[in-house]
This record gives sequence, C-alpha cells and structure tokens, in this order.
Amino acid sequence: MVNDKDDSQRKKKESIVDLSKFLDKKVRVKFQGGREATGVLKGYDQLLNLVLDGAIEHLRDAEDPTVIGDETRNLGLIVARGTAITVVAPADGMEQIPNPFANADEQ
Amino acid sequence: LPLSLLRTAQNHPMLVELKNGETYNGHLQSCDTWMNIHLRDVIFTSKDGERFYKMPEVYVRGSTIKYLRIPETVVDMVKNEVQEVRRHQKDMHKQKKSYGGGGRGGQSNRGGRGGGNAGRGGGRGGHK
Repeated sequence: MVNDKDDSQRKKKESIVDLSKFLDKKVRVKFQGGREATGVLKGYDQLLNLVLDGAIEHLRDAEDPTVIGDETRNLGLIVARGTAITVVAPADGMEQIPNPFANADEQ
Repeated sequence: LPLSLLRTAQNHPMLVELKNGETYNGHLQSCDTWMNIHLRDVIFTSKDGERFYKMPEVYVRGSTIKYLRIPETVVDMVKNEVQEVRRHQKDMHKQKKSYGGGGRGGQSNRGGRGGGNAGRGGGRGGHK
C-alpha cells in the first residue's frame, strides 16, 4: 500500500541519470573539498561510485583555493567514492565561452 | 512541498548555486527524492564569475546545492499543478474508502457464519 501512495519511493531505487551513456567517455567529476578530476568512465554503480581510467586531477592555485589553476597531476586508474562526488559532467561537450550574461557580475 | 515544486518544474530553465559558489544555468531534466538533479544545456559559471563553460548536461548531488532559482512563471504554474495533484489524491482516498466499505460488508457476512459455528460448538459440548 505504501508503494502505491508514493511513486517516488520505490523498492528499486533508480538513479535519475543513466551513466551508461557516459561509459568509455571522458567525464569531469568534482569532489567535496573542491577537488576536480577528469577521466574515462569505465564503471559505475547505484551509489555513484565511479571507476575512472587515466584520471587527471586539476589542482587549484595554492594561493586561492577557489580558483582552478592549470596544473595537473596524473592519477591513473582510480575509484571515485560516490559519497564524495558533487558534480558529474561529460568532458567532451565542455567549451569555454565568453560571458553570456550582459550585466557584469561585479558592480 | 519543495520536492513537489521541483518535480513539477521539470523541463524548465533554472539556476542552481552550489555550496562552493559555482552556478549552473540549465533546464531541469529530472530530479529525485534526495534533490539530485540532472540538467540539460548547462552554462557553468565559476565562483569568481569570470569563467564560463557550456555543457550538454550535468548531474548535481542534492547535498551540494545551496539554492535553486526558478522563474516566476514556473512558480505560478506549479501552484495550479500542486492543487490538481491534491485533488487527485483526494479522489484516490475516496475510492479507497468505498472499497473498504465493501470489504467490511463481506466481513460482516463471515461474522454471521462464525456465530453459527459457535452455536454448533456449544451443542457438541452439551452432548458430552
């Protein structure tokens, strides 16, 4: 009866995003604490644990941890813990664009 | 209420700011009970407001979201949709109650037969 009431709480907890389309593709993952890594997604599970091959960590500037610098370090084959992941995005479609917002952010 | 608001706002553009200050502008593809969201056609702005990236889609953990900005037109739509959903739920409750009344009627018949059995049991006791 409880399952009939609330469709969102099903016995099968499916994730809203289907990571199978990201398999063998480069993805960009952000972690709690501000770290970032890109790598080829080799595997995943429902808890969002990821297996990344050829992972590269993008380091942040030592002076200002909020700014993403250009320095990187190679991590190789890693398992990324799902509990620490904050953002997952495909690295392929990423392109840097000029400010799309007409108004300046800093006034 | 917040999650139902989010669910009905699917396919609408919104702005998401994370706890680390980064912002994502995109259309809500889907969301779940933990407020994890999947956005399409996303523009990502870094915390300092100087870097911009365009991405086809992103998945954001609910626990990292600071807030979501939803367009006002959507908010008005959502109010109406929430009212409709509540009407549906009321109808469902009414239907369930009617089924319960029919079930209770069947049980009362069974109760009568049970009383008859008890009478027969008393009769057997008397023979001994």
